[in-house]
Amino acid sequence: MSVSILGSRESGQNIRDTNVRAVQAVANIVKSSLGPNGLDKMLVDEIGDVVISNDGATILRSLEVQHPAAKVLVELSRLQDQEVGDGTTSVVIVAAELLKRANDLVKYKIHPTTIIAGFRLAMKESIQYIKDYLSVKTESLGKDAILNVAKTSLNSKLIGAESDHFASMIVNCVEAVGVMGASKEMKYPIKSIKVLKCIGQSAKESVHLNGFALMTGRTAQGMPTSIKNARIACLDFNLNKFKLQMGAQVLVNDAKNLEKIRLRELEITKERIEKVLKAGANVIFATKAIDDFALKYFVEAGAIAVRRVDKKDIRKIAKQCGAEVLITLMNNEGEEVFNESSLGSAEEVSEERLGDNDFIFIKGMKHSSSQTLILRGANEFMLDEIERSVHDAICVVKRVLESKSVVVGGGAVETALSIYLDSFARTLGSKEQLAISEFAESLLVIPKTLAINAAQDACDLLAKLKMYHSASQNSSDEKKQEYKYVGLDLANGKVRNNLKAGVLEPTISKIKSLKFATEAAISILRIDDLIELAPKPEKERDGH
Amino acid sequence: MIPGNSAPVIVLNTNTQTDDGKRAQLANIRASRAVADIIRTTLGPKSMLKMLLDPMGGIVMTNDGNAILREIDVKHPAAKSMIELSRTQDDEVGDGTTSVIILAGELMTVSEPFFTMKIHPIIIVSSYFKAMDHALKVAEKIAREISVENHEEIADVIHSCIGTKFSSRWGSLIVDLAVQAVKAVFINKNGKKEVDIKRYAKVEKIPGGNLEDSRVLNGVMFNKDVTHPKMRRFIQNPRIMLLDCPLEYKKAESMTNVEMTKEEDFAEILRQEEEEVCKLCQAIMKFNPDIVITEKGVSDIAQHFLLKQNISVIRRIRKTDNNRIARVSGATIVNRPEELQESDIGTKCKRFEIKLVGDEYYTFMEECEEPKACSILLRGGTKDVLNEIERNLQDAMSVARNIILDPKLVPGGGAVEMHVATELTKIANSIEGIEQWPFLAAATAFEVIPRTLAQNCGCNVIRIVTELRSKHAEESKDAPYWGIDGNEGKLADMRVIKIWEPLVVKKQTFKTAVESAAMLLRIDNVVSGISKKEKKQGPAGNIEDAEI
Repeated sequence: MSVSILGSRESGQNIRDTNVRAVQAVANIVKSSLGPNGLDKMLVDEIGDVVISNDGATILRSLEVQHPAAKVLVELSRLQDQEVGDGTTSVVIVAAELLKRANDLVKYKIHPTTIIAGFRLAMKESIQYIKDYLSVKTESLGKDAILNVAKTSLNSKLIGAESDHFASMIVNCVEAVGVMGASKEMKYPIKSIKVLKCIGQSAKESVHLNGFALMTGRTAQGMPTSIKNARIACLDFNLNKFKLQMGAQVLVNDAKNLEKIRLRELEITKERIEKVLKAGANVIFATKAIDDFALKYFVEAGAIAVRRVDKKDIRKIAKQCGAEVLITLMNNEGEEVFNESSLGSAEEVSEERLGDNDFIFIKGMKHSSSQTLILRGANEFMLDEIERSVHDAICVVKRVLESKSVVVGGGAVETALSIYLDSFARTLGSKEQLAISEFAESLLVIPKTLAINAAQDACDLLAKLKMYHSASQNSSDEKKQEYKYVGLDLANGKVRNNLKAGVLEPTISKIKSLKFATEAAISILRIDDLIELAPKPEKERDGH
Repeated sequence: MIPGNSAPVIVLNTNTQTDDGKRAQLANIRASRAVADIIRTTLGPKSMLKMLLDPMGGIVMTNDGNAILREIDVKHPAAKSMIELSRTQDDEVGDGTTSVIILAGELMTVSEPFFTMKIHPIIIVSSYFKAMDHALKVAEKIAREISVENHEEIADVIHSCIGTKFSSRWGSLIVDLAVQAVKAVFINKNGKKEVDIKRYAKVEKIPGGNLEDSRVLNGVMFNKDVTHPKMRRFIQNPRIMLLDCPLEYKKAESMTNVEMTKEEDFAEILRQEEEEVCKLCQAIMKFNPDIVITEKGVSDIAQHFLLKQNISVIRRIRKTDNNRIARVSGATIVNRPEELQESDIGTKCKRFEIKLVGDEYYTFMEECEEPKACSILLRGGTKDVLNEIERNLQDAMSVARNIILDPKLVPGGGAVEMHVATELTKIANSIEGIEQWPFLAAATAFEVIPRTLAQNCGCNVIRIVTELRSKHAEESKDAPYWGIDGNEGKLADMRVIKIWEPLVVKKQTFKTAVESAAMLLRIDNVVSGISKKEKKQGPAGNIEDAEI
């Protein structure tokens, strides 16, 4: 008899089967969205809000997965999204395939830990192999390489048809935000890229803007729409009538003083504004409110004031135009001053109208590295999906620019690894050999799925791919060496040299996705018992 | 222990439903066609209105695509996405809301056979995009430019655009209103054209009277009366002061308490309050205004002071109205009466008058020098009629704005669509591979506009459309201008009957329709019933999430 527990318990082969089935189910959901011929999913929530997406991470997150093992996969795609930003679908598919094959091995009575050891070894070997043989330095490929990386990422998305337009926009954008890091390496902080969405026109009219943009209008209509040589002040306090903190009370004896207090309240804010304006500011961004009465002073001074700017935005603006975000005007002596040094500068601040919205553009800032992408599209769902696609592409471009190394896409890397691991497995005499060859076989799921999604003959293509890669690895012939770049051409149902065709992915994305997928598979594989505790019975309340 | 055979594994939440593969695709197509069918009959000059009853029992009568769809509560997600389109169209160009839906619906419909033929959606989508590119080029090619100064031509365009609407029965009335209003708010500041209809051209509807009494004011009007009946209701050359502060005693923001020890203190405080209001009024009176308009309240005592000085006061006016008055009168909106300056007073408005229209008082401020804002006064039988006319007018104004901002026109009456269809068919022959089919299908989809026009005017659809097609296939120079005269149900040269439409509207229609159809066609899985609670971790594409 087992120890009785309050709840249900599943163990041994049972739980492994269940887990594998759950994981398989998750992978099946996203499978059809892989690759340039992948399709999208439409997700509708209870209220009826719609999300249309091709991004693995987004789909899985919106899907409310309940099974614990399946949840691991959802987390996995989220991790990939955070770390790399792209390849969220493939990581899930590979992990599920690994698990499936591992489970078969377990059925042959091979101990899971042996399989795990084999997988670990295989993963290490493949990463080494990618680094040593499969990755290509971008320097040797020219500028087009980076463009191609972006295009490869975008091709599988809704905006695939306009990938040229978006790719060049994104590459320009990411290159422009590059800064020299502390370790003498270029860094591309993608936080400096702001993506704004605006309904209307078509995806092709999306524009890249050198500068920063806010999706708000100026606060009063009387303000000018454009200011050249802007002097920018960033305020993080509100310009309402001055108000004492909560709980503070003023007690007056004389009624006349009441009026004085009221006046003083107005004066305090007025003085603050005057100090800011006197220092030469003609553009004011505030995170909090600006009272109607205060607007008049800005209007009279011919300044643009924008209220309720997001805190993140204002920090970015401040950093780039050299301004200081002021929480208060108080200096050390307890006096209120506004120093000219707190002002930032920009060549132009202007308000423009796009579609039905007003935008504030800040151009030519002092330390400008900020870039803005304004996306246009037919409706909100489309814009959201474009945003996700663009985000993926931005991440990919950043990875490539930083690591300067790419691998060939279209299933080339996976096939090469599979062939390599297969022969590597044969050099081992232990039980790990089996695990490694299963690992090798699992990787082929990527080219297989790609071919299936494109409605091509998967077996035929896979055989061809394998042939080329095996030829390249077993021969020292210079020409045959080139075969390691052979991947799928899904539009025509053929194989081709994908390095020349420009199907490129960042090396780091491939390596990370391999790592994550293996780790996830291992962690699920180690489970041999699932105990689900029944929820605690609610204590009866004594109703009084 | 649980027996060996395990129950089915539940991965997803059990109350979600999934539709996948062909079923999802076909359902999407059907849903979009259903949406298109709803408004199909509202296209063209022989269009019919729809009457919509909302749950509250209110009625909307309209033939504006956007207005109809906005009211309809659809469930199918694809249909929702379609409805959004007409909103996009309305936001961006303000016209063509019906055609965009019909075109998108047709693009979906013509793709249906390809799904049964197992052509990959990606191929359909990419050829649709190709077709869109060509269509835009074709439209651009036959567009002609007009001069913005030429009122007549602009009026012609608007006329043909809103000829399809309810208000067309009143001839050129609405057209004239729209042209005048847009001209009034048009600002050309060093090459930067600005036409802000939303903020500065306000439509005021007053039920009663005749539609012919509608007009564009050379100034503004609003539904307010002076606060005191004794104040002047008619002033020539008034001095106008605009405020956005209350003329009452205001309490301080901070918590202030007064300690009263004697009975007299109370009286003192009351007196103090009065005095404050008096001071405010004195500050105002110094500038000798004839009219004071404020966004906030005016207390009785302030009214009393101002009345004594023969100043008319209007209170609780909307911010947007105040902005418009500021534009027509040249006044600046002031918050603190103590800080008034002479330059804040507006004098550009020459006539202030409060009239009793129906049984309500309306303030008219007219005869302004170069007003950069205006009100449009609409009169008409009932509220529903007025609402519909307002929508027509909004469309008309959008058309006028589009022309002024981008003065390029294409022939209407389905001519441009037919021309696009013909040209695309020619191009299709040069396309290799399977893509040719969806491309051809997209070409025929454009014919839906002339076809629907013909349907709605009750003529022999097949004969007319084939005739039109053959006209367009001719190699003559006139070919692109043949379209359907929706009133007569005959073919006509659009240049002769003067049916023109702005190019921007047409371009936007094509773009929106194709893009949305493409998006819906790419879907192969619909999961519905996801509960909302897990969301709000920020969208996946959120750049902030990613580490640097």
